[in-house]
Amino acid sequence: MRGRGARAGAVVDAVLPSALALVFAAGLGVFVVWPVGRVMITSLEGDAGFTLANYAAFLRTRYYLLSLRNSLILATAVTAVTLIVGFAIAMAATRGPRWLRGPVRTASLLPLIAPSYIFGVALIILGGRRGLVNVALGTDFRLLGWPGVILGQALTLFPLAYLMIENVLATVDRTLEDSASDLGAGDIRVLRTITVPLVAPGLVRAGLMVFALSMADFATPAILGGGVAFLAQDALLLVIGAEFNLRLASVLSVVLMVPSLVVFLAQHGWLVGRSYVTVTGRGAAAEPRRAVPAVDVPCLLLALVACLAVLLPMTVVGLGAFTRFVGVNNRLTLEHFANIRGLHSLDLSLRMAGASAVAVAGLGLLLAYLLARTPFPGRRLVEFVALLGFALPGTVLGIGYVLAFNEPPLHLTGTFWILVLSCLFHYLAVAVETGLGKLAQLDPSLEEASTDLGASRLGTFVRIVFPLTGTAFLAALTYAFVNSMLTLSAIVFLISPGREPASSVIFAFARQGELGVASAISLLLMTVVLIALGVIRAVARGSGRLVLGAAG
Amino acid sequence: MSVVLRVEGLTKCYGSIVAVDGVSAEIGEGELVSFVGPSGCGKTTLLRMIGGFIRADAGRVVLDGHDVTDEPPNRRSTAMVFQSYALFPHLSVADNVGYALRVHRRARPEIGGRVEELLRLVQLEGLGARRPDQLSGGQQQRVALARALSVGPRVLLLDEPLSNLDANLRVLMREEITRLQKDLRLTVVYVTHDREEAMSISDRIAVVRAGRIEQIGSPTEIYERPATEFVGRFLGAVNLLQGDAWAMEGDAVRVQTALGMITVGEATPPPGPGERVQLVVRPEAVRLIPEGEPGAAIVGKVTSAAYTGAIVRYTVDVSGTPLIVDAHDPEHARRYVEGDRVGVRMPPAAHRLPGGGAVGATRG
Repeated sequence: MRGRGARAGAVVDAVLPSALALVFAAGLGVFVVWPVGRVMITSLEGDAGFTLANYAAFLRTRYYLLSLRNSLILATAVTAVTLIVGFAIAMAATRGPRWLRGPVRTASLLPLIAPSYIFGVALIILGGRRGLVNVALGTDFRLLGWPGVILGQALTLFPLAYLMIENVLATVDRTLEDSASDLGAGDIRVLRTITVPLVAPGLVRAGLMVFALSMADFATPAILGGGVAFLAQDALLLVIGAEFNLRLASVLSVVLMVPSLVVFLAQHGWLVGRSYVTVTGRGAAAEPRRAVPAVDVPCLLLALVACLAVLLPMTVVGLGAFTRFVGVNNRLTLEHFANIRGLHSLDLSLRMAGASAVAVAGLGLLLAYLLARTPFPGRRLVEFVALLGFALPGTVLGIGYVLAFNEPPLHLTGTFWILVLSCLFHYLAVAVETGLGKLAQLDPSLEEASTDLGASRLGTFVRIVFPLTGTAFLAALTYAFVNSMLTLSAIVFLISPGREPASSVIFAFARQGELGVASAISLLLMTVVLIALGVIRAVARGSGRLVLGAAG
Repeated sequence: MSVVLRVEGLTKCYGSIVAVDGVSAEIGEGELVSFVGPSGCGKTTLLRMIGGFIRADAGRVVLDGHDVTDEPPNRRSTAMVFQSYALFPHLSVADNVGYALRVHRRARPEIGGRVEELLRLVQLEGLGARRPDQLSGGQQQRVALARALSVGPRVLLLDEPLSNLDANLRVLMREEITRLQKDLRLTVVYVTHDREEAMSISDRIAVVRAGRIEQIGSPTEIYERPATEFVGRFLGAVNLLQGDAWAMEGDAVRVQTALGMITVGEATPPPGPGERVQLVVRPEAVRLIPEGEPGAAIVGKVTSAAYTGAIVRYTVDVSGTPLIVDAHDPEHARRYVEGDRVGVRMPPAAHRLPGGGAVGATRG
């Protein structure tokens, strides 16, 4: 009995990894490489064979050059703002008054679970021509245009910068700063010559990330741009707007891809060196450090301003959802919630995000295991492509899917599954990376012990690896779910009438000026996300005990 | 010897825990004073208060007659060598050493020359272009020293500077620090938990326990004449013997113990006849001789024998009292094994713990 089982297990062990690797390679080929390839091919397509004419047209059109210039200026400005704010919050959250650290952190991370365009909606309510500010003060302040776009993007992107900077700042050995101070350096000088240079790798990575995301974002400019042209928005209009031109859209996509690819290469250590490791093993004692008012106070103030800048729009969205037209007609009403299109879209978002989150977490972990433990030819390439899916701007992925799957043999546009697939291959990288990280910590001897005791490779994965990497699974599940619920970039190209997720419905309402409905759906969307996070956390706590029990 | 650094009643509390409890001490020009004690005794907190990294709850730090208690580290003429060295990882060795000089806006050529000089002083010539992580532990330690010396500090603060080095290197660096201290006539406050390290380099040692200085004095003083049982035990293995003062013989007092009559020198104030006293007998002062030899009035049984190379440490049971005995030069001395019966020859004189015999038998 056992012999037969073992033999069958051996056959499975021999065949299964290769078969799985092949399936993954094929999937990544079809849903990442092929769409991107299609974008590139289309950008080179002419009426008669391949040509560079599309690129020439792009470079000859003053309008697009202006767009490109605007996008670059915007990305630079937003990067500068988010880095300063992110650094200040990181300082406040790690070194500020203890009782303020939690609230600052929570408020700063709030935008991560809010749809990015929510700030667009709120800022229009607040700062539009007939917005709350102008009505209340009787001014004629124009937020739409540059100030609105910079503010809107900064609000959505600074949490990322903050997190990345805090990661590095937390590892900085405080005795280095003490030491500089001991050698005579004043507080500002310590900040300039020691703290900032040590955090520099984090600043560079965060900066590149924010820059790329700003370039690729079309939602904020579309809502708050006030007619100023930006490249990502132009790409959107070339696909779903009146000036339908897929070749030119592909050219714009290729241009938009460049900063993202730079970030991708940088993050994997090909451009920016790894961060400084502490030179000696033994860390400094957790001695409380004296306060440094010249640095700490401005950081704290800036952090508090940023938190207010997050909370105020959130509040406004809340008000907007429950009033006729906030500021104009403040009668309380629930009518915005009774929007059939909106409720329908929430249901679709939930199903789509649920399906893609489970797929991302399950397949990502399996792929991570294959990559980490099974040598197969082309392993590095599969890993590269899997991670690349995340690096691509959603806009590019979306246009790629439109180009690749609008015709046989894989005619998927207009279906539910193309939405799921686009999320799956966009966020798969997150699960692969967390999985790889977790597996690197997992002593291979555990698996060897399991096989030694007679378990097959598959059995070992199910019984040993999966329970021990459960936290990675849940982290990936959470990330993929939240982001699939909120994402707009790729999705917006793939919707069809009656098959719209909440994010694109909110975006549409916001652009039409239906701010009440947009606010109401945003509020519902955030509530659903929060509930889901709570459920996942409860499950994690329950299974955490199980995992610990199994390991101990 | 003029006083360079004086601390008066320094106190630091963390919540209900008193980390440093009213410490006062004076450190003279060119003196090396160590603060030793078990981990958590408050010695590093004390050092960090002297350096200005921790604000004192009470007390004063006086440097060259100036009260610097409220000055930040960058305004005090102290320089610290951190336990982790705290070398700036993004700067070269030369830039690390020259950091303070740049802060003080010295001219570029002057900085270059001074850095060269400092690197030569710590025997690191030619390594200025390296990064800290390209150096060995001992070399990093030297860079940290050179960097601290670059400011010409009135007081050099060393926080467990050798704890990250392996045993051989530790001895080497210990000698190096002593050499620098003597050559440059440095005033040094040295924190360590290693009693041997402290004994070998210090002019004076302060034994710290629970935030207080138990005793401060020269290595000889505190080893041979500990003020408390804790100090006696902290500085090495020790036998504490209870006894009754018996008779005066000039300045000395004879004490009757379970192991015979022992003389106590310099007993001030002298105990009265019949008073209970506690004697400190170091293991190396006791001799073992074969049972039955002349002079073996006291007989015991060996209960353990641990060979450590330079010495054999015996535990001998003398009618219920365990006695630690170190026998030197085991290669040429007679060796005993567990179960052997031996004669014990006690030293003629021993140190008496001040405060009499009321102290508990085991503490610390």
